[in-house]
This record gives sequence, structure tokens and C-alpha cells, in this order.
Amino acid sequence: MSEQTPISPGSDICQILTCLPEKFVVDFANGIDVARERQRHMGTRDGFFARLYDGFTGQGDRHQAEINASLTDGVEGALNWLKDLSESLASSNRAIVQVNARVNALKLDVATLVDFSIQSRQTINLLSQRLDERCNALDRNVARIDCLQQAHLHLDDVFGKWGAGHFNMFTLSGRCYAALEELRWGAFGDYCQAASRAERQKQLERLANRAIIQLNKDAGIGQGERIATRERWLARPEHNAFLTDGEDAIRYLGDWTSPQATPFAFAASQMPEELPLHLPRIIAAPRVTEAMISELFLEAS
Amino acid sequence: MTAPMKVGLVLSGGGAKGAYQVGVLKALRELGTRIDAVSGASIGALNGGVLASSPSLDVAIERLEAVWERLANESPLSMKVPGYLALLAAAGLRVQGAGAVLGLVHSVKKIAGVFEFELPSWLDGLDEGLLDDQPLKQLMDEFLDSKQLATGVPLYVSLYRSNGGLQDLASAFMAELGLGNTPDSEFVHIQSLKEDQRKQALLASAAIPLLFASRKHGEKRYSDGGQGGWQTMQGNTPITPLLEAGCNLVIVTHLSDGSSWSRQRFPEATILEIRPQQSLNRATGLMSGAQDLLGFDVDKIPTWIEQGYRDTLHCVGRVMKAQQSRDELRGAEAALAGIRSENAGADETLADAMARLAKQH
Repeated sequence: MSEQTPISPGSDICQILTCLPEKFVVDFANGIDVARERQRHMGTRDGFFARLYDGFTGQGDRHQAEINASLTDGVEGALNWLKDLSESLASSNRAIVQVNARVNALKLDVATLVDFSIQSRQTINLLSQRLDERCNALDRNVARIDCLQQAHLHLDDVFGKWGAGHFNMFTLSGRCYAALEELRWGAFGDYCQAASRAERQKQLERLANRAIIQLNKDAGIGQGERIATRERWLARPEHNAFLTDGEDAIRYLGDWTSPQATPFAFAASQMPEELPLHLPRIIAAPRVTEAMISELFLEAS
Repeated sequence: MTAPMKVGLVLSGGGAKGAYQVGVLKALRELGTRIDAVSGASIGALNGGVLASSPSLDVAIERLEAVWERLANESPLSMKVPGYLALLAAAGLRVQGAGAVLGLVHSVKKIAGVFEFELPSWLDGLDEGLLDDQPLKQLMDEFLDSKQLATGVPLYVSLYRSNGGLQDLASAFMAELGLGNTPDSEFVHIQSLKEDQRKQALLASAAIPLLFASRKHGEKRYSDGGQGGWQTMQGNTPITPLLEAGCNLVIVTHLSDGSSWSRQRFPEATILEIRPQQSLNRATGLMSGAQDLLGFDVDKIPTWIEQGYRDTLHCVGRVMKAQQSRDELRGAEAALAGIRSENAGADETLADAMARLAKQH
């Protein structure tokens, strides 16, 4: 029993008599010791004379009345305590109800958040996928633009050299052939090979236009003016610039050509004594250019 | 629980069992209790006087232990008189008719010698000088100092207006039998008295009728304050002056088994009684009450001190344990209320966030 348990001086409860205890708590708790002490005392007064004496003096009744009063106080204290405890318990229960309600609300909110999170993740995944596609397309576009840029630079380089007279050692058609061969084996050729049909067509037209302009200029002829193939297009330059090495190089480059499949390229590179049968004998710059472009860039590939 | 605590201590009368109160004080010191006012009757007044004369509770306990140990260390065979009477005499009380008593003792011893009758041993030394325990007298002179009393904790003692020793005893006897009651004791605030009256009032409160002469206080004569209001122990357990002084917690010590003092007479006061958890009586037989009261067996003094100490820890501990439970409950309720208000804020924030989420959705 706890009331029989000795209380040591070192225990916690023995260090706190520094705050005023509540009256009903003191009456309740101390009343137990008071009633017990009186009961114990009454228990010792069981001899004949002691009973007689206590009865005569009224001390027995007074002790009993005090015990009764202590018990009443104790019950009242217990009632007070029970009332406080009940109120506290009710308050705790209300708090538990509130907590449960809050937990339920929290669950709903969490479910909403989970739903939102799933939707967000799906949206992000879609966005990521689209972004990847877009980035890949941009990468491809950048690569294509880079190739196109390289092709244009290449085109400009070649026509820069042609315009500067670096091809003057060749025949007129040889100049066109040399320029086209250089373009075919460089960035321009690569681009045309990788590009779509329409894009390739567009770049080849661009090439044809520049070559026609340059040929017209080199031949000193007007737009659409036709001149003799042998005497003009395949005629060696008259000045000293013509070199045998250049002619050999052209011939080497065009060793793949044939008089039937690629008559223009064959005539321009091989300088045959007998012109291919399908090669016109009088011809304008656009025809030379377009035919040779077709043979090198379309048929050869 | 926010009211400032003012603790009063009632030291009831009970003769040699007053040693019990030393144990009570030791336990209260361990409990960290500050004593703001003291009241006492009879031996409680003397113990209270030593307490009020001391600069601190620690010193008071040391002094009281010294006095009671001095009594306890006397061998029963060497004691010339019962210990309590020696203590009262050492404090300054004058034995009434000491010369006559000595003459009577001599006569009794002569007659006993003629008839070869063996007398109690404590009578042996009476003719060598009654109540001449000089070391004890020095202690009491030092510890019951009127000047030091003025600066100590407020001390109230009960005094019984004497109508003569025999008349007083007769009144007490009738009251004990329930055939009447003694007049109420009067309560005196020691510090309000003149310096030369303070010790006189303390001694008057302890002056056992017939054995010691009553003391004059003012124009009246007073003796043992424990006699007043006999049936309700109004004088022997002087709580009234402490309640009037504004004490909101009064610790009452009892020095008798089944004390008839009743807390029910003070329904508004918060009273913590220290009642003995086992009998305070040490002697047995027909005159056991008188033997314990007067301290024939002074070797029992340490057991009373120890019992006072244990009983106080028990009685106060039980209250404190209950109060601790109450405090924990209140603390938990306060914490719950605090967290509820915090929750309201959190709910509002969450609801707002969820509303914004729903709007975006």
C-alpha cells in the first residue's frame, strides 16, 4: 500500500513544499492520517476501564465524530477531485475528438496533395518529354544550320577562288567542272547529300546560278547566249596561264566519267578528241552548268 | 497557487515528548519549508523560544538537538529528577516548595532505611541538590536570549491565567471528565513584549501547576498555557494567533496519541497535522502517562526525535504527493490549452494553402 511506503528525504516530493498546496488537497490527504491516528488510538482503548472512562467523559464519541468528519471531508475531497478529473478528462476527450477531426481533415488534405503531386509529376514528365524533343529538334536544326553555313562558306570560298582567277588555267567548262568537283568533295557536297530533296534542289539551284553568272562572265557572253562547245567551252585558254598539270589533274578527277552517262563532265575533264554523241555542239552557260551539276550531284550519288 | 505562502508552525505542549518537535523541524528543513511564524504551548513554547532566538532554522535545530541530547545523554541512574523537570528548571523555572520536598525526601529515605525498603533509584540524588544541572542551565541561558528573540520569527505562546495551583488542577480535572471546561488560554506575541518580559512569558507558558510557581505577567499570574480550553485543546495547540497573523498554511504538531484537537473548528484554514503514526507512549503501566510527560526515561528522547522526523516526512509527503498529481494535471491541461491555440493557427495556414491549391487546380 502506498500509504505504508516510507518516504525518503531524497525523494522528489520532499523537495517541493515551497508552493502553497490547495486546501481541499491538504484536507483530503492529511485527513487520512488524522483519521487513521484516531482510529488507532481508539483501538487501544478497548479495556474495560478505558471504555468506561471514554464513555463517561464523552471522549470516545468525540473521537468518533472527528473520524466521521474526516471521512466526510475525505469523501468531499474525493468528489472535488473526481469533478476536476472528470472535467479534465472531458476536456481531454474533446481534445482527442478535435485531434481525430484534424487528422481526418489532414488525411483529406494529404490525399488532395498526393493527387496533385501525381498530376504534377505527369505534367512534368510530359513537359520533360516535349522539352527533350524540342531540344533534339533544336540540336538538329542547329547542326543543319551549321552544315548549311559551312556549305555556304565553302561555296563562297570556291567561287571566291574562281572569281579571283585561280581556275583560269582550265577551259571554261573545266573551270566549272573543277569548281563543282571541289564543292562535291567538301562541306557543300556533304550538306547536299544529307539534306532533303527540296533543300538539295534549292542549294543546287543556288550553285547553278552562281556558276552561270561566273561562266557568263568568264566567257564574256550574255544571258542565254549559246557558244560553240569545242571552240569555246572546251578551248584551252590562250594566255600562258594554261598548265598541263592542271589539265592532268582535271583528267584525273574525272576518270569516273563516261561519254554516255556523264557527257558534260566527261568532255570537261577528259578533253576527248571526239566529243560524246549526246553533247550539244553549241550550248549556253545554263545548259552546261545544270547538266554538269546534275551529272556530279544527282547522277553520281 | 499564486498566493504567497506563509507557513505557521504550531508546537503543542506535551512535556518530555517535546523532543518529537526537533524531528519535525529537521524534516521540515529537508522539505525546504520556510517557517514564517511559530506558536507554542508549554514545552512547545520553550522549543519555539529556542527556534525564534536562532538566526536560522539550521542553527535552531542544532541548538534544540544540543539541549535534548544533553538530557538524553544523562544516565537514568545519575538523573536526580525526571528529565523534563530538569529542563524546565534549567530554563529558569523555580520549583515550588523545593525545601519542603527535600525535607520530605529525607524523611522518606530515613523511614525506608529503618524498614529496609528499596526506593526508586532516581530518588537517590535528590538530597544532593535538586535540579542542579549546570551545563543544561548554561545551554538554556544561551539559547533563550531575550534580545535574540526580538529579531527572530514571530513567536506566540499560550498562557493560562492561574487561579492557584490546586484550583487550576481541579478545573483541568473537571474538564477532563467532561463536567466543564477550563477558561481559554491567552495568546501573547513574544516580540511585542518588553525585553525583560519575553523570557518570563515563555517560562509561564511551561510552568506546570503545583510543581512550579506561576509567573507574574502584568498584574496577573499565569501558568502552563496547555491548560486553557481543555476539551478542545485551545491552549495546548495554539493555532488561533497564527491564523490571525495571516498564515495560509499551518502545520500542527501533536504530542499525544489521539489528540482531541480538531481541525473542524477552523473550516477556512489550511491545516496540515503531524500526527504520530505509532504510539508516542514509551512507558507502560498505571502512571505511564506521567512518566512520559515528565521524562523519567530520558533514553527515549532520541526515539521521539526520530519519530517526529519520520512522521513529518510521511504526513507532509502524502500531501505533497497528492498536490504534485494535481499540479501535473493542471500543467498538462495548460499545455493542452496552449497547443490548441497553436493548432488553430496551423489549421488556418493549412486551410489557406489548400484553398490556394484548389484555386490553381
